[in-house]
Amino acid sequence: MGLQPGVRRRPAYTPEAASRSNELGRRHKPDYWLIAICVVLLAVGLVIVYAISPALSASAGVSNTYYVVKQLIAISLSLVAFAITSQVPVAQWRRAYKPLLALAIAMTLVAIAMPVNRDYPAHRWVRLGGSLSFQSVELLKFALLIWLAGFLAERIKNGEISNVRRTLKPLLIAMAIIGLGIAKVQSDLGSTGVIVLMMVTMTFVAGMPFKRIMMIGGIIALGLILAIASSGYRRERFSTYLHPEADCKNSGYQECQALIAVGTGGMIGLGLGRSVQANGYLPEAANDSIFAIYAEVFGFVGVVVLLGIFTALFGRLKRIAERAPDDFSRLIVIGVLTWLSVQTLINIGAMIGLLPLKGITLPFISYGGTSVVFVAAAVGLVFQISRYTSYSTLSNNRDTEDRSSYDNSRDRRRVRGAYHPHTGSR
Amino acid sequence: MGFPEHGTAISAVKRVRIWYALLVFVIGIFGVRLFYIQIIRYDHYKQAALADQLKQEQIPATRGIIEAHEGDSVVPVVLNQRLYTVFADPVDIKTYKTDPSKVAAAAAQVLGGSASDYEKDLKLAGTRYSVLAKKVSQQQRDTLMGYRFAGLYSEEQDYRTYPQSALASQLLGFVNDDGVGEYGVEQDLDTQLKGTPGELKAITDLNGVPLAASKNNIQKAPIAGNNLVLTLDLGMQQQLETMLAQGTKDDKAESASALIMDPNTGAIKAMANYPTYDPSQYQNVSDPSVFENAAVSSPIEVGSIMKTLTTSAALDQGVITPSTTFYDPAHWLVDGFNITDIEEDGGPGTQSIASLLNLSLNTGATWELMQMGGGQLNAKGRGIWNDYMVNHFQLGKQTGIEQGYEATGYVPSPRDNGAGIDLTYANTAFGQAMTATPLQMGAALSSVLNGGTYYQPYLVDQTISADGKTTDTKPKVVESHTVAPKVGQEMIPLMQYVVDHHNIIPAFDQSKYIVGGKTGTAQIAKPGGGYYDDEFNGTYVGFVGGSKVQYVIVVFVIKPHVAGYAGAGAAQPIFANLAHMLINNSYVTPKP
Repeated sequence: MGLQPGVRRRPAYTPEAASRSNELGRRHKPDYWLIAICVVLLAVGLVIVYAISPALSASAGVSNTYYVVKQLIAISLSLVAFAITSQVPVAQWRRAYKPLLALAIAMTLVAIAMPVNRDYPAHRWVRLGGSLSFQSVELLKFALLIWLAGFLAERIKNGEISNVRRTLKPLLIAMAIIGLGIAKVQSDLGSTGVIVLMMVTMTFVAGMPFKRIMMIGGIIALGLILAIASSGYRRERFSTYLHPEADCKNSGYQECQALIAVGTGGMIGLGLGRSVQANGYLPEAANDSIFAIYAEVFGFVGVVVLLGIFTALFGRLKRIAERAPDDFSRLIVIGVLTWLSVQTLINIGAMIGLLPLKGITLPFISYGGTSVVFVAAAVGLVFQISRYTSYSTLSNNRDTEDRSSYDNSRDRRRVRGAYHPHTGSR
Repeated sequence: MGFPEHGTAISAVKRVRIWYALLVFVIGIFGVRLFYIQIIRYDHYKQAALADQLKQEQIPATRGIIEAHEGDSVVPVVLNQRLYTVFADPVDIKTYKTDPSKVAAAAAQVLGGSASDYEKDLKLAGTRYSVLAKKVSQQQRDTLMGYRFAGLYSEEQDYRTYPQSALASQLLGFVNDDGVGEYGVEQDLDTQLKGTPGELKAITDLNGVPLAASKNNIQKAPIAGNNLVLTLDLGMQQQLETMLAQGTKDDKAESASALIMDPNTGAIKAMANYPTYDPSQYQNVSDPSVFENAAVSSPIEVGSIMKTLTTSAALDQGVITPSTTFYDPAHWLVDGFNITDIEEDGGPGTQSIASLLNLSLNTGATWELMQMGGGQLNAKGRGIWNDYMVNHFQLGKQTGIEQGYEATGYVPSPRDNGAGIDLTYANTAFGQAMTATPLQMGAALSSVLNGGTYYQPYLVDQTISADGKTTDTKPKVVESHTVAPKVGQEMIPLMQYVVDHHNIIPAFDQSKYIVGGKTGTAQIAKPGGGYYDDEFNGTYVGFVGGSKVQYVIVVFVIKPHVAGYAGAGAAQPIFANLAHMLINNSYVTPKP
């Protein structure tokens, strides 16, 4: 094959070259559905915050636009975060896991070192001065996501995923440290749950035998029991969880008010701007409890729609995970899926009395800057990966799904220089 | 890192799907749970929500003010001041995580006082109503509530103010912290004065501020209570209180009551007791008995002033005339007991009705009762006299005056009880073995002196409702024929005779005015039977007028310590001062 004038030939793609450059293969149209769903969720959150803003600002004594403006600032910041993570190649993120993890741990230590006060009742926030602060655990989730994906991908590559000493032991140690630092010192059982489940699902998808997973599960259950039993505050939380309506005036107050908000929503809800519970009754109406306000305002119909949107989002993530070009990408996507879904379920579960109440935000919807920014960063990574999804993994799978549903298949030809090594082998 | 080994990848995809399936399953459970909460348990949560969110409260109506006459004008005696009570619900403070030190600091700044005291109130255990401050001005309240501390509340309350300070306090009564009238007019006419509270029913925010968004708000404006104008003449009341206080001290008495009423209508012109209290400081009163208007609430055995009514009844019966004379044996043996007179009365001899009253002959009053029975103490006489006491003079029952705690007094049944009923009834003829209040005695004597009409004594002259409608009280006739009109005309000179023969200095000019009276020195029953030897109550009934009787005056002095008899020594001087006061201040229209 000779050189033709005016036509630059790309070097042939080889697995070795891809490995060397850490490239994911050919680039194609990203998953815009993913972005569309996230935008819808952000919009829903913004509308709710806007609608209850008068009630909130009346209780807090701030201007009417305070919450909406702060939320818009957070969304702008999250666009920046999204832009960065969706552009900087995942391979670079993978390489940078050490400084990233070091930064996250440092920030966690800073947060733990900062004294608590009325506005910051736990060692969770890194205060940057003024009203600027962020929750160190969100950064930690992001850093752990990348480290875990890298670590597990490495073990897969080396065929050591079932190795107790090389794989299971480091994971259990990491879990123990997190359990101590986040659950015990920061008293953040919700985020601990998210991180631990991220670890479990990523390890599971990485291929660790079921038996080992069950073992991890057993250890976690034991740790959970110890965690609950070791702190009076958590014991109270847990007994409140078991009998929320026993003490609606004291420890069960937020649970009861959340259930009242959800329950009064009925079939179609009270209507936007008609929330009563936001008027001081339900604590944290804009952040941790925003789902209850949503349910009060939009009713069962609205709740089903919202759960549908979340399920669609998770479905998108699952799709991308299935088609991920390599183990690292897949583990990133499955980590993000777990992060978003577990956080969503813990948050909603608390509002409907299925899970003990946790101070944890509802992704995209809740008011609160740190959460939105790091969730956007995580979605940015997945968005980038969605440019490189491949059908090959699926095509080799016996339970291949209907090809027509593989929406990127038609688009791949439009991407300039599209080339796929497996196309020929099919 | 290379391309995924397909085996791993396939297994990974499978595991992704397992995880996703688990996720969808949990979301499904959430959906079911939401259906249960929002659809099946909707009513339960709706009720729970309303219990929290729906505030139902009464808006207190403005309490009616009380005014009284002063000469030709009407001046206020009780006014309102709208103030606020600031209170906390310590449970809410805790629940809503309100910082007590912040609230306390703000309260100390706005209301004064110490922040640490407020903080204690905010943390008070075992109550959901912890008062931080009472009588807080609207401005202070608005400033403090402007901070919107969750768990801190305020409620408005009208407080009574008394422009005439302690004047007439016992007949006015006071309004307690719960806004309820106690004692006097405030108690008896509480419903009228209170008005109709408004109603507020609304979905509110946590601080109780109604939400504009809720559609089922109900608001009913309160209707203010009626304003009252009392029959009192404040000038007269003021002087009566001064004289009564002075008299009680001069008599070294335990207490005293006096009233001046219009016998031709039943209107009370002045009424007071001593000791008394300041209604604006009612919380500081240690002995609650001073709250009582003893003139209507404390009946006693009235003593010889009763002889005016016994004589009136006998005159009305026609069994005696003003000029009747009779032989007084100076003692009667009744049911084994001797009824006697005092030594100064001079022993057996012929007496007139005028001297009977003047010397205050117990044997004479007993003789009058005998005449009503046809010459003997018997069932007939007892029946007639009982009928006069109960049905004519309205003793033994409430007059119905607008006062709290009005007493009925006591009149014994005339039926033979086998235990010396004749002796008992002989005693009632001179004011023992029965009890009455000063008001009952005044109203009964009024009915004699005005020619036979028993008017219900009253204190409220006019009622002005919230819409401005004024209702004048019409004197209410309870009994139109207590005695024949001529009996009043006969009793006037008889009682003038008593005044003229009791050495009152300065004497009354009976050519321009008519001034009459009757003393009473009442024995005090011992608990458990018998009477004290050394303690008496001094009583007096009298009148002042010109061409007709214009005022009836009653004075009771409880346990005075004076030389001579309590009636003449203790009660009579107070009567004389009051009668002179009425004449000197031109309250009395002299004879033409």
